[in-house]
Amino acid sequence: MLPTALDDIRVLDISQGIAGPLCARILGDFGADVIKVEPSSGERGRSLPPFHDNDPHPEKSLFFLLLNLNKRGVTLNLETNKGQSMFKELVREADVVIESYAPGYLASLGLDHASLERENPKIVMTSITPFGQTGPYSGYKAEEIVTYAMSGIMAISGTTDREPLRHGGVQSQYESGLNGALATAFALLLRDFTDEGQHVDLSMQEVVASTMVIEQPFYPWNGGVRGRRNPEGAQFSNIMPCKDGYFISQPGGGATWEQIADFYRREDLKEPRFAEAEQRSLHGPEMDEIILEATSDRTMAEMFKEASENYRMLFGIAQTPEDLADCPQLESRDFYWDVDHPVIGKTRVPSRLFNMTEIPSRYRIPAPLLGQHNLEVYEQGLGYARDDVVRLRELSII
Amino acid sequence: MGRLPLEGIRVIESTYVFALPYAAGLLADLGAEVIKVEGPGRIDTTRGGAFGGAYADNVIGDDPWNRSASYNILNRGKKSMVLDLSKPDGLAVFKDLIKTSDVVMENFTPRVMRRWGLDWPNMKKLKPEIIMVSNTGYGHGDGPYSEYPAQATTQESTHGLTHITGYRGDIPSKAGQSYVDFLACWSALLGIALALRHRKKTGKGLWIDIGMYQLGCFNTSEFIMDWMHNGSLGRRMGNRHPWRAPQGCYPCAGDDEWCVLSVGDDEEWAGLCRAMGQPALTSDERFATTLSRMENHDELDEVISDWTRTLGKYEAMERLQDEGVPAGPVFDARDTNLNEHYWARGFLERVKYPENRKLGERALIARPWRFSKTPVSIKGPAPSLGQHNRELLKGVLGYDEARCDELEEAGIIATIPTNHQSPADLSMDELVRRGRLAYHDPEYKQKLGL
Repeated sequence: MLPTALDDIRVLDISQGIAGPLCARILGDFGADVIKVEPSSGERGRSLPPFHDNDPHPEKSLFFLLLNLNKRGVTLNLETNKGQSMFKELVREADVVIESYAPGYLASLGLDHASLERENPKIVMTSITPFGQTGPYSGYKAEEIVTYAMSGIMAISGTTDREPLRHGGVQSQYESGLNGALATAFALLLRDFTDEGQHVDLSMQEVVASTMVIEQPFYPWNGGVRGRRNPEGAQFSNIMPCKDGYFISQPGGGATWEQIADFYRREDLKEPRFAEAEQRSLHGPEMDEIILEATSDRTMAEMFKEASENYRMLFGIAQTPEDLADCPQLESRDFYWDVDHPVIGKTRVPSRLFNMTEIPSRYRIPAPLLGQHNLEVYEQGLGYARDDVVRLRELSII
Repeated sequence: MGRLPLEGIRVIESTYVFALPYAAGLLADLGAEVIKVEGPGRIDTTRGGAFGGAYADNVIGDDPWNRSASYNILNRGKKSMVLDLSKPDGLAVFKDLIKTSDVVMENFTPRVMRRWGLDWPNMKKLKPEIIMVSNTGYGHGDGPYSEYPAQATTQESTHGLTHITGYRGDIPSKAGQSYVDFLACWSALLGIALALRHRKKTGKGLWIDIGMYQLGCFNTSEFIMDWMHNGSLGRRMGNRHPWRAPQGCYPCAGDDEWCVLSVGDDEEWAGLCRAMGQPALTSDERFATTLSRMENHDELDEVISDWTRTLGKYEAMERLQDEGVPAGPVFDARDTNLNEHYWARGFLERVKYPENRKLGERALIARPWRFSKTPVSIKGPAPSLGQHNRELLKGVLGYDEARCDELEEAGIIATIPTNHQSPADLSMDELVRRGRLAYHDPEYKQKLGL
């Protein structure tokens, strides 16, 4: 066995949806034994699109597959007395619990950190919720767009002539999954010294707000508040169309302004009203026009290569999922892992976040089918007789 | 009890802009001693210019490089050393400091570290137990983009996020600020925590090689998998949701005030109707099911906007949340700084500067995670440029005063940048006029109690 960072750690993942399961998956990628504990009907992540073959079958959610790689799976009804006592048995043999229920729910079941700590003083519990465990908003409901609005990002996204805009996809969920993993890792690092677990309280609103490192301090520094961009002439901050798609470039990087003008093959960009940064901001729309004209017959791929390789410019192209699915750079970074899932079949799952010598993230097992490891965990792990495991199923406890 | 996770850990970093400087600032919060190394002719980008954000009190002052908001939030609690790494004596000091450190962080292009003999193969010879963190745009290795220049704004397109971000049916758009930098920041923290556990078990160091591009790509994974399995390319939906309706950002009373809401099922729909004072709307055929609400979303948006325009954004949030509808105001920076929830949770902290810094007291974002038994806080203000040059040379490396003087005379250590250009001195009103600010609030200090 190759060493991993967390091969001495068992994680119980009772979270649902995206952020919590992703947090637990990242811990699994770095070697933790993660047991996903779901209600008998399956957690709501199993109903998340997209699905394999667009078939909304509970074992065919591609999002679920991606969020639950490297986990074993059991079912357990935490709302029954027997389910609660079995969970406590699992906690005695575990190091971490990841959860994402509304604050107060686990306490109502007697499964909050204070209760679990009595079973296992070394247990670390990480709670991932929209607004955290405390404070006046802790009982509020949120969705991606609510977290985004209340983080401060939407106020600076989109253009001044329209409403504030959110990012596509579910960025706050991904960001919170990563933060959950890192906070859990620090709690474990600390536990190595203190022999004591603790409760990690993560707020998704605060995760996204943590990216506002220009905007937040602006106000206490001088009272300034930034807003959205002007729809045109915003000095390269906007994405522009070219022959076959869209691109964006910015001054700086390894390129002088003269070189940037050469890249666009436009001598007029070298005139002082564009060449000097302070001047440029006053002639934005005119500059946009020149660049649009200069790029209307150039392609994304050609410009990306030339700008990056020959001019050392900061240059981006609006790549699509198709581009990312077949990207030589991602291949070189071992980004995709080949997975063979019993229902979905062979596929490739976006996986590696970053590279690391000695203890890199690794693929071991696909996402679990519902209750796939019940026998393994309850019979071999906790020592229940096979008949009892069957009876627990009859009683809808597992 | 009370022990911080990184007590006794020394981090040395020569990093620029957002990602790793921020990670190292958070490491200082978590208890590490963090030494920031900058070049006398290459100070951190966030000490001024577009990345610097605000100057304190909008006064450039005698030392503008110490006064920018962004520099001060990212580099809190560190020690500052200015060292000319392009000169052999400067590089030698850097290597000596690395030998006394547990973690070294850098975001130079790969060829710079190779030239200095500080790429991973050489670094681990210098100190086998070292944990090295490198952050580049595309990651090290033999991939075709590995040597490409990059920063977050242009990468946001390349890593696939702008393709799915933008107003409905409109061109791709970037959102937020330097998005992927923060993913790199958090990845560095995760990697360091794992590496320190590994080192404790085995005594071995390791290299964490972060490429921002793949972190951005990862956060669009479900779109990539949808393409692979269903041939779908995703689309720009503005503020709408693929299976919840209505969802959007609606105008409230006042200038540029907005609230968002999201309805996922019939129960939340009934809640929205009650909040709007139109309970009869639940029996309106046009909006009876999620599918019909999706179909008639434009019409429904008008009904909702007519109601939200009559309300302040906080009032809208309270009424909607009281009826069980996920909703909230669009916070701008003033809202963020004055928010009672943030202050109640300790997400904002006050940091007091020493008299000679002429920065007074300010409020800063703390951290998004709390540990129930380990109180973590911002350790102190960001240092002034080169503030700890001599303290570190003498205290850590045992140099004497004369040797320090020599290094200063040779321009290898310094406290003033060699190539600083004075920034344009623009009034707050001028900043608004040029579109750099939406507005400014002259009463910010009173409101924050600073």
